[in-house]
Amino acid sequence: MSPALDIQQVSKRFGGLQALRDVSLQTEREILGLIGPNGAGKTTLFNVISGFLPPTGGEVHYAGHPIHGRRPHEIVALGIARTFQIVKPFGDLTVLENVLSGYGMSYYPGWRAFLERFRTPSSEAAARDLLEMTGLIAWVEAEASSLPIGLQRRLEIARALATGPEILLLDEPAAGLTAQEAEELAALIRQLYEQGIGLIVIEHNMTFAMNLCQRIIVLAQGEVIAEGSPTEVQANEQVINAYLGR
Amino acid sequence: MPFMQNLSNAVVLASTYILMAVGLTMVYGVLKVLHIAQAAVYTIGAFIGLLVFTWVGNFWLALAAAMLISGVIGVLIYRLTYHYMLDAPRTVPLIASIGMFVMFTDLLQKDFLMGPYQKALPAGGAGLPAVKTAWFSLAPKQLLILVVTAVLLVAVYFILTRTRIGLGWQAAAMDRDMAAAVGVNLNRVIAFNFFLGSALAGAAGVLVGVYNNSVFATMGDLPSYKAFIIIVLGGMGSLPGTIVASLLLAIVENFLVASIGYVLPRDAIAFLVLILMLMFRPHGLFGQE
Amino acid sequence: MIIGGYVISVAVFVGIWVTLALSLNILTGYAGQVSLGHAAFFGIGAYTSAILSLRYGLPFWADLLGAIVVTGLVGMVLGLPSLRVRHDFLVLATMGINFVVVAVFKYVDFFGGAMGLVNIPAPSILGYSFRGGTPYLLLVWAFAFLTWLVSWYVSRTWTGLAFNILRIDEDAAAAVGVSVPRFKVYAFCISAALAGGAGSLYGHFIGSVFPDTFAFVESIAILSMVIFGGVGTLRGPILGAIILKAAPELLRVVGSYRFTLYGGLLVLMMLFQPMGLLGDDSFLWRNLTRFFHRRPEAEEVVS
Repeated sequence: MSPALDIQQVSKRFGGLQALRDVSLQTEREILGLIGPNGAGKTTLFNVISGFLPPTGGEVHYAGHPIHGRRPHEIVALGIARTFQIVKPFGDLTVLENVLSGYGMSYYPGWRAFLERFRTPSSEAAARDLLEMTGLIAWVEAEASSLPIGLQRRLEIARALATGPEILLLDEPAAGLTAQEAEELAALIRQLYEQGIGLIVIEHNMTFAMNLCQRIIVLAQGEVIAEGSPTEVQANEQVINAYLGR
Repeated sequence: MPFMQNLSNAVVLASTYILMAVGLTMVYGVLKVLHIAQAAVYTIGAFIGLLVFTWVGNFWLALAAAMLISGVIGVLIYRLTYHYMLDAPRTVPLIASIGMFVMFTDLLQKDFLMGPYQKALPAGGAGLPAVKTAWFSLAPKQLLILVVTAVLLVAVYFILTRTRIGLGWQAAAMDRDMAAAVGVNLNRVIAFNFFLGSALAGAAGVLVGVYNNSVFATMGDLPSYKAFIIIVLGGMGSLPGTIVASLLLAIVENFLVASIGYVLPRDAIAFLVLILMLMFRPHGLFGQE
Repeated sequence: MIIGGYVISVAVFVGIWVTLALSLNILTGYAGQVSLGHAAFFGIGAYTSAILSLRYGLPFWADLLGAIVVTGLVGMVLGLPSLRVRHDFLVLATMGINFVVVAVFKYVDFFGGAMGLVNIPAPSILGYSFRGGTPYLLLVWAFAFLTWLVSWYVSRTWTGLAFNILRIDEDAAAAVGVSVPRFKVYAFCISAALAGGAGSLYGHFIGSVFPDTFAFVESIAILSMVIFGGVGTLRGPILGAIILKAAPELLRVVGSYRFTLYGGLLVLMMLFQPMGLLGDDSFLWRNLTRFFHRRPEAEEVVS
């Protein structure tokens, strides 16, 4: 079981723009979908949770401890990892090294980072296992920038998994994927859920989100406008209006 | 020295910075390159000004010639180097610029060019009168600098806002790829940009050469460093910011030197301001994220 | 066999500059923090060492160690701007730091002012004094080797990986647990400490230190060596320093045009081999490694 992620009345303001307004949600171990029209604030919410942005109001708690305002590397250490909407691989490094970088999380703080080689038989073995599980093992020594976008997204997930998260935030993981790749991705996400990881998935691909997620939260213009099972949310009039721009 | 006189001296000093800084910020705005070689263009401008003035005896002709030739040299620099480095990592054009700076500085010190010593450029006030008001007075030389700087700035303003190529520059400064996508001829805009920016640097060189009655091969170094400080202060790529920052820097330098004197030299003050600025307001006073 | 004094001097200088280039490479090549102020660390090391020996009478080894430690600590402080600014802004900030540091050397009496510090005692071990000559040459190159060793070692550790990934993408690095501020400070600290050591060796060799030796122009020279040779590699800065430091000496044959050629060389390199002489994709490196590559497995071909 993963500890509870508790988001309380989080607001975020950029100058004149109110990107998030009193957003609250709680999640434990589930596949939670976060959907909404463009500009709804979904990625901003991820940025706040993962420490890339401090909230202007409200609090974020994890396992009972406040994490709002903490730096990204601290939040990863606590067990929340994320991927990015526009994929950010370490292009010059190989696929294996990309994943290894995630494993370094237990070494980066403190002096151990100076004392251990990063390519050891055990670290490489662990990385390879992860690459097997995510279906990337065939590209082990390939340069990350040479991979097609679908594989780069998968690599970013693998890299995030290497940090040993209890909650994983996926920002539009299916963007740019073919139907086949999306299906494989969904299978991977379900597998991660089976292994005990909680996931929050931002998605624009409606079919993908509705088929995959157990619960959906809908964000529009920075506010939560609906919450419930996929069927409930799809029938919700406010949600329909939000997407049709009314 | 009374406050207003100090202030007016500061404005004159600022004028000597402004042209150089504006030229630099225009180049940076589109290319995102720290054009260190601009120092050489400044010096070349002063040199051409000296040659023409010695030959013809007329300041305005000398200024025009200096601007024209500096502009052409600037375009050549772009076409022969930066043009091929637009997509390379930032260190590449930086080192190329450094290389050109070293090359030109060495060449200019050769006897057949400027030689290792300074030369006089006795154009005086080019026939302008002195100005005396109740609060401050301006020597003819100072008036000359103010007038030329003001005229050039107004000209630049008109070019940038009223001509097609100027608007193209503004678009390219905001987003190079986007500008290309909407049909801006990047090559022409950049080349024109370099011409104008270099011409301004050349003018600055002539003006300072006349003001100090001294022209020498390494005269571009310090103004160029100051100009970099100014464009950071003013927000890289912002013209009004550059002007305000030049004034601010000149004022701070003038007044601080008057009070603190020699605890740290004037130039170090400028750099301290730079560092503090970068620490606390990295996007300058007017720049945007 | 007697090696001429001039040749030894050049070799000592080259060794010192190889150290400087390798140390800058850790900061700029590994961690991606482009610095145009590395000469400041060189100077801080030289001055620290000179002061320790002149004012406090400490022996050579203490001066060297002191220079390394002090410069490393100061480097951490002077590296703080890198936590706020990146890229071009950082270049300008480091340039500014260089100017301020040199101004301090020039105008603060404690550092001897524009006259610098002179009569630095020659290093001596067990009563045997050696300034210049082969022993000093060996000492300098031993330190250069040490710098290389540190670079090589760091590149294999998690620290080296952290440096690399924060260079490539700071946000992604933070997302895998790298504290970007902490590692930037590490990079400045190590890089400065090694440069400080070079400074101490320089000061004791020449016997005096003057502010202008460590001016901005020198930072430009050191950065050029790194990029000319191949930034980010272990081999590049070594060759870059050797060529660019020895070049003005060797080019004396061209007489007074040597800096013109030097500058021109830099421009040409950036035009044709921007990755550096020995950079990963350079003409030279590709051809050198061709002899050492094993044949790739043949089966991925036709069917």
